Amino acid sequence: MSFVETTVVAGYTVSDFLLAAAAGFVVLAVGMLYRAVKGPTMQDRVLAVNVLGTNTVVILAMLGAALSEPTFLDIALIYALLNFLMAVAISKFTVERGGVL
Amino acid sequence: MSDRSGSSDSLDDGTSEGIDGFGDRAPSDTDGPSRTGRLDSEVRQGSPYTESQVIMPTVKVVAPFAFTYGLFVTFHGGGSPGGGFQGGAIMAAVVFMIAFAFGIEATREWLANTVVVGLAVGGTLVFAGIGIVTMTQGGAFLQYELLPVPLSRINRVTYGMEAVEILGIASIVSGVLMGLFFLLARGFSSEGGASGTGDSTARTDGGDDR
Amino acid sequence: MSGVDLVAAGSVPQPVIAQVTAIEASLFVFVVLTAIVTALARDVLAAVIVFGAYSLGMAALYTFYRAPDVAMTEAAISAGVTTILLLLTLAKTTRIDHEVAFESVNLPAAGAAGLLFVGLLLTTAEIPAVGDPDAPAWSNVDVTQWYIAETYAETGVENAVMAVLAAFRGFDTFGEAVVVFAAGIAVLVVLRREVFA
Repeated sequence: MSFVETTVVAGYTVSDFLLAAAAGFVVLAVGMLYRAVKGPTMQDRVLAVNVLGTNTVVILAMLGAALSEPTFLDIALIYALLNFLMAVAISKFTVERGGVL
Repeated sequence: MSDRSGSSDSLDDGTSEGIDGFGDRAPSDTDGPSRTGRLDSEVRQGSPYTESQVIMPTVKVVAPFAFTYGLFVTFHGGGSPGGGFQGGAIMAAVVFMIAFAFGIEATREWLANTVVVGLAVGGTLVFAGIGIVTMTQGGAFLQYELLPVPLSRINRVTYGMEAVEILGIASIVSGVLMGLFFLLARGFSSEGGASGTGDSTARTDGGDDR
Repeated sequence: MSGVDLVAAGSVPQPVIAQVTAIEASLFVFVVLTAIVTALARDVLAAVIVFGAYSLGMAALYTFYRAPDVAMTEAAISAGVTTILLLLTLAKTTRIDHEVAFESVNLPAAGAAGLLFVGLLLTTAEIPAVGDPDAPAWSNVDVTQWYIAETYAETGVENAVMAVLAAFRGFDTFGEAVVVFAAGIAVLVVLRREVFA
């Protein structure tokens, strides 16, 4: 039992708060999905996928803290490093449809 | 491992020279019109986007960390989530990152075909080899405690598994994924197209070729 | 959408299923939305981007259900490899810019998929609840519990997933590794190449 499960604030543990915050970030991700789908330009989509990736890093880190599983941070770290790759790839692809790759 | 790559260096030189010639032709073609002042939009926009001042330094910073993290995931699979498959995929992704930043052709020349093939084939051979060595000792496939190494029984199992994960699975996955990347970047072979380009001049010769 | 369905399935006397937490429900909505958009988007590049977002949601879901190895595979493969390979394929093929954002739905195909979905949904009542200690996959003394109890003593590694992959089911993993190797060879053959790099 770590402190996120034992510390109780107003009837809820810290773990509950972290999970609720993570759920809030997922709702934000659903909102950002609108921008990724609607566009209207490819730059909007690149930014949207970048925001979604950063959002996922935050969600995974919060899950790791809330569930007292520090190893979950490894997954967040993978996204932090590889989300950059996805943004670079898509943004370079949008220039002349991959002509500059 | 090292002597394999050393011996096949000479073998690779022939193929990489052919690739060099292929890769060098495109820039020299684009340089020609720029000197004569005839700039079509593709040539003009080509260089600033391919050599982005933002992407290249950032990749220089990020790539070592990502590669180290891939090694960590591979080597630390026994104590935390991860393993050879995930670590190999991350290490291959680092190569993709470098290729996107510095150009796929340049990365293709930097990373010789020998390395990619050696990773894929060597990984498969190591995996099969470890399994077969335990079979020659009278055990089952991959019965690690029969490995002929001077370690305690539990260490033979642990390090046997790590060897399979690191030298086997991670090598196969990273090698094959890099190979897929370079193959897809180059696309369908125009080898048939080589005879196709010479079609009009050598139609009589090309007839029996088909 | 799927979260709503699971909540509705709670009317069946299975109280544990009804306890869908907020993060599960929101992740279900996110994953189902991205899956639908990926299937329907007319612009292939938009579909690839949304597919990347789908895998982000799936990785978070796997993480929440305490499957970090699967989540890590999803993260490394989807963020690092699949999107890149799909983009390269798109760069080699042509994409037509469409006025309409979404594909028109083929009604017979959608009906068949819907029937399959309903059929699969009916079986979910029989699936043990998440975290049910009596679930057969968990309470099996000879398999799961044996691995959990004996992995460290037998192999000396703490990650039971890796121990199962590399030691207890090592021959299966060898088959998978050969499949990956064969995939590389197959692409060489299909693209008529003789060298990778």
